[in-house]
Order: sequence, then C-alpha cells, then structure tokens
Amino acid sequence: MKEKFLNIKFKGMGSPCEITLMGSPNEEETLTALQHEVSRLEQKYSRFLKNSVLNAINASAGDPRGFTVDEETLAIFQHAAACYDQSDGLFDITAGPLNKIWDYRKAIVPDKNTIEETLQNVGFKRIAIKNRKVFLPSGMELDFGGIVKEYAADRLATIASKNSNLMGLINLGGDFAVIGSKHTKYKPWKVGISCPKRPSVAIAEIALHHGGLASSGDYLRCFELHGKRYSHLLNPVTGYPSTGWQSVSIAAPSCLLAGSIATIAMLKPLQESSDFLRDAGLAFVAVDSDGKMLTNLE
Amino acid sequence: MSKRSVHNKIKKRYSRSILALSGTALTLSSMSYADAPPTQSTVSIKSTNYQEDDLLSNEVLFGELSRYDIDVHQFQLVTPVTRNSSLQVNGSYDSLSGASPWFTSANSEGEPIVNLSGASGIYDTRRELSIGGSYYLENETVNLSIGRSAENDYNAAFINFGFTHQLNNRLTTIGVNTSISNDEIFPTDAEKFNRIKSASKRSVSTALSISHIINRFSAYQTAISVTNQKGFLSDPYKLRDVRPNSKSQYAWTNSFRIFFEKMDAALHSNYRLYHDDFGIGSHTVDFSWHQNLSTYIPFDLRFVPSIRYYTQSSANFFTNIDDFSSDPLAPQSSDYRLAAFGAISAGINFIADLNNLRITAGGERDQAKSKYSAYNVSRPSTALVRFSRISIGFDFSY
Repeated sequence: MKEKFLNIKFKGMGSPCEITLMGSPNEEETLTALQHEVSRLEQKYSRFLKNSVLNAINASAGDPRGFTVDEETLAIFQHAAACYDQSDGLFDITAGPLNKIWDYRKAIVPDKNTIEETLQNVGFKRIAIKNRKVFLPSGMELDFGGIVKEYAADRLATIASKNSNLMGLINLGGDFAVIGSKHTKYKPWKVGISCPKRPSVAIAEIALHHGGLASSGDYLRCFELHGKRYSHLLNPVTGYPSTGWQSVSIAAPSCLLAGSIATIAMLKPLQESSDFLRDAGLAFVAVDSDGKMLTNLE
Repeated sequence: MSKRSVHNKIKKRYSRSILALSGTALTLSSMSYADAPPTQSTVSIKSTNYQEDDLLSNEVLFGELSRYDIDVHQFQLVTPVTRNSSLQVNGSYDSLSGASPWFTSANSEGEPIVNLSGASGIYDTRRELSIGGSYYLENETVNLSIGRSAENDYNAAFINFGFTHQLNNRLTTIGVNTSISNDEIFPTDAEKFNRIKSASKRSVSTALSISHIINRFSAYQTAISVTNQKGFLSDPYKLRDVRPNSKSQYAWTNSFRIFFEKMDAALHSNYRLYHDDFGIGSHTVDFSWHQNLSTYIPFDLRFVPSIRYYTQSSANFFTNIDDFSSDPLAPQSSDYRLAAFGAISAGINFIADLNNLRITAGGERDQAKSKYSAYNVSRPSTALVRFSRISIGFDFSY
C-alpha cells in the first residue's frame, strides 16, 4: 500500500516554508502545532517585529542592569559564542550594524571611515553574559540570522518526531530537517542543491536519512562594481564582504549545525575554507565565484 | 554540472570545530520550553507573625482581652527530578495563643458586648506536610499533590490536581484545578462544655483560569472557582453557633499586571467578587506597586507598597447579640467573620536578590470596621479585628 503524504506550504520567518508528513493518524494537529512553533520563534526572534525578544535585547544596549533572558535565548547565545570561537570571530551575531552601511540596491561601497566607525560597534566578545543577564554595550545590536531559522527547523523536527509513527521533512526557506528515527528503513529524502547563478537548477543532490541540511550563499543578495563581486556576507573583522564561496551546502546531524558550518565556510578565505570543509567530516557542496564545485559527495 | 548524490557515507570522524558546535547545537535543539520545569533546586523558609490587637476593656464583659497571636514557620523545597518533572515538598508549623469571642450579649444600654473564651486562653499548634509532583509536557503541565495537617483538635487530609495548557503561541494559558479536603474536628473539653465530641466535613473545590500575556509589558488573568462544603461547618467553641451543614461558594478573580518601562516599575492590581449561600457577598480590590531600585544600588532590590480594600455583607443568620431563646437548631452565629464590615489594609515589602539568595521582608496593617462597609450594616459586630503581620523569608537556589 502506498503511503499517503500530507504537504503544506506557508510563509514563515520571511521565507517560503514547506512541511511534508507521512504515517500518522493525527498529521493535521501536528501540522498546526508546527506552524505555531514557527510563529512563536518568529515573534520571539524577528528583527522586524517590534515586540520581539531580540529587539528588546537590542533596546537594552547600554543599560548597566542588562537584560534577563530565558533558557532558550541563553542557549542561542551559547551556540553563538561557540560559532564565534570556532570561526575565529567571523561568525558574529553582532555584525548587524555593517549591513546598514552596505547598500546592495544602490551598489555603493561605503567609505573606509564609515566602515571603521561601524566596526567600533561590532564584536561578540564585548557582550557580557552573567547569571542569565545579557549586557549589550551601547551602540551594538544583535542579529540571530544564521541560527534561528536553522534552529526552528530542528525544533519542528523534534516536536514532530515525538510521534514515533511520523516521518517527514521540514523545509524553512532552504533549511531542511528530517522528521523520524535515524534507524528508519525508508528511503532517504533527496534534497537538490541549487546552482548559485540559476537557483532553479539543481547541481547536486544530497540524500538525507536524518539530521538536517542548510545552505549559505550570496546569490540572492550581492552586487558587482568595477568587475568586483560584493557578497552580502560581511566579514565582521574587516567590515568588507567575504571573498570566498558563492554558496556552501552542508548535511549534518542537525540543521543548526549544518547552517553554522555553512556560514563559517562562507566567511573563511577560500583555501582555508576548503580545508575546513574537507576536515569537517560532513557532506558538503561548495561553489566558488567562477562556478567551480568542490564536494566530498561520492 | 552533473548531479551527484551521497547517502551520508562521509567519514564519521568530525573535526574539533564540528564537535564544539555540535554540543551547543544539540543543547539548543533538544530543549523543551513549555511551562519549564525548574532547573535548580530551591529551598525556601518563611516566618510570619500575625498579631490581633487586644480588645478594649469596654468592649468585653469578661475573659482575656488579648486575641490571637499566631507564629507561622513555613518550609518549601522545589527540586527537578528528571528533565520533565519536579518534586515539591511543603511543611509548616504554626503556634497559636490568645482568646477568641465565646458569645456576645447586650450591655446595660442594649449594645452588643463580647465575652471572650476562658481566662487561661487558647494554645494550639498546627503541623502540615504536603508533597507533590509536576510533569511538564510540550504545552501542558500536570500537578498532583497530597497533604495532611494536624492540630490538637483538628485533622485534615487533602489532595490537589492541576492541569495547565498553553496555546496561542504560549501567550495564553488555561488551567483547571481541583482539590478535595476531608477535615475532622474533635473539640477539647467536649464533655465539660457540652460540645460535639467529633464531627467532619468535606470540601471539593474546582477552579478554571485563563491567563493571557497581552504584550511584553502587561498580562491579565481571570479565574472562577466553585467550592462545595458539606458536614459540620459550625464553630464548636462558641456557646451558640449553628450553621447550615452545606455551603456553596463562588469566586471570580481578576488580575492585571502592567510594567512601566520608563519608571522601571510594575503595577499589580487584583479584584475578587465572592458570593456564598450563607448570604455573604464580598468585593476585594488590591493594588501593589513593584518599584525596582537596582539603578541606585549594586544589587537587585524591589520595594513593594500595597493597599487592599475588602468589604462583605453579613450571613443571613448572623446576629450581633446571641439569642439563647430561639430554636437551638436554627442557624445562628455571632462570629464577627459573618458580619457585614469593611477592612482596609496597607503593607510594605522589600525583595532583595543576591545571586542565589532572595530575601523578602515586609509588614502589613489591617483594620476592619463596620463603617468601612460598602454593604448595609444592620447588626454591627463589636468583635471585628485589627491586626498586624510581619514576615521574613529566604529562598536559596542551588
């Protein structure tokens, strides 16, 4: 008998989302619960929603009393700290102010003084975290991009996997997480990796039995000026766009891990990043600015 | 470019970076954030002294002028058991001394006058122990607790079951709570004063509550509760006290909290409407202002002034002068708690947070008077209380 799939598409976290479920009598309830979880995390961590926890933390910048965070937000900070350490400061959730001075629509490169001035307000190390209180220095702001959407995909998979009969795939704007036991006998989910120049064309396919897959790329937001490509991924140490890959896709035991590694790989210089990806021990597909692909897929 | 695929047959020796990031990623992804179980154990102790003012000599015909003086010592332990469950143990020891109104009579002008219990007064102790557990699901919490209390002349056993469900992105919580209590009274000196030798009563209470977080700064909660009591509801220590043997109580409570960011302070306001089939209706309004003072001092300190107004109507069978000529089985009581009156209370509390230690200290003064009543007072009680309460508490988390 052929298994019935239930599929739902919706918009969440500023991206097209898709959830595919199979094998449970209460799929509908699970779908509703999953959509609520996306909404909860969006309301809590969106930069664009005035009452989000993220904006409340940003509004507390300079307050000597700090801002008390809950367990979930604290865990995000701990992961952000690990990303910062493991990337030698390249993956930095305080890099937000740099995005404001780089105007991708008008294709303008900001002057050196503006960049240096802005860098004064960047640096994860300057944040103090004590007893659940976050002390954000004045002028600094946080952006959980590269963490929250990937984390959300894992959360949804975790919630859905509590129903042991359920299998499926979460896709939150290209961040994937597999629902179901890793010991499943079912065929893996095949996820296509987009060509950076032509996103509708798949250049590779990664088969996911469990865990997650995430991609980081600059093909959606970048500009070229005087023959030079300016990526939207900004190096928080130099203040200039990263010059490495056009896109990196990673399959990992969790979507959050995949997304973190993909972002770090995008920010590292090309050669260093190639070694980092080869040593990582995870399935990857990376495409450089000339369209050449590096992968460890068989 | 050709399509390639892999079935994750990549080497399983991850780099150090991956292992470092896996730890925090796994912690984050596997967490549960419903009504979260405690992550630390907390031991709390609190001592309270409740002291009723002495009656004036012109208010009393005979007996002790000093009324109740009660010391309450409470202990609580809340500790996580597993990732999704916690255990709570509560204990308390109270000691009570003083005198309480025995009966009321009329003075030479026909005004009610109180006669207090014997010159030696009353001395009693009360011990209570309860144990309970909570289990935390994704969006639900289930609580169950049982307990017993014992006094020289009173035993009680109770069980409580609670359930909460979070919805609307966890901004709304609905809760149901049911408790059952079986109480037994065996008055002292029963034969000497012709009191009932022993009696019992059963109480069943059910409450339904809804709380909603309106926005980052305000929250509202409303609850209705119904309590049914059956059995012996009279006071055996009063000379003439006969109450119906069943009572239904209904209460509607509302709380609204709002935080004023610029002032770094919060206003807590509560209103309670109550009615029972003894004929008592009541309104309670209270406000407390939670002012954070940590801007001025190097630790977290909150200053909480509060004010409360309470008023109730009298029970249908309340009398301010006991009538010993009436049918001895007809409901009648001169208990001041069944009279129409109003009470105004003001208090101050300080809450200090010093790392793992929270210290709470405060005091309250309450005065009940017939003239404060919002209800008609046809039979004013002369035994209304004026009391002071002071308390100090310590919560230690580890």
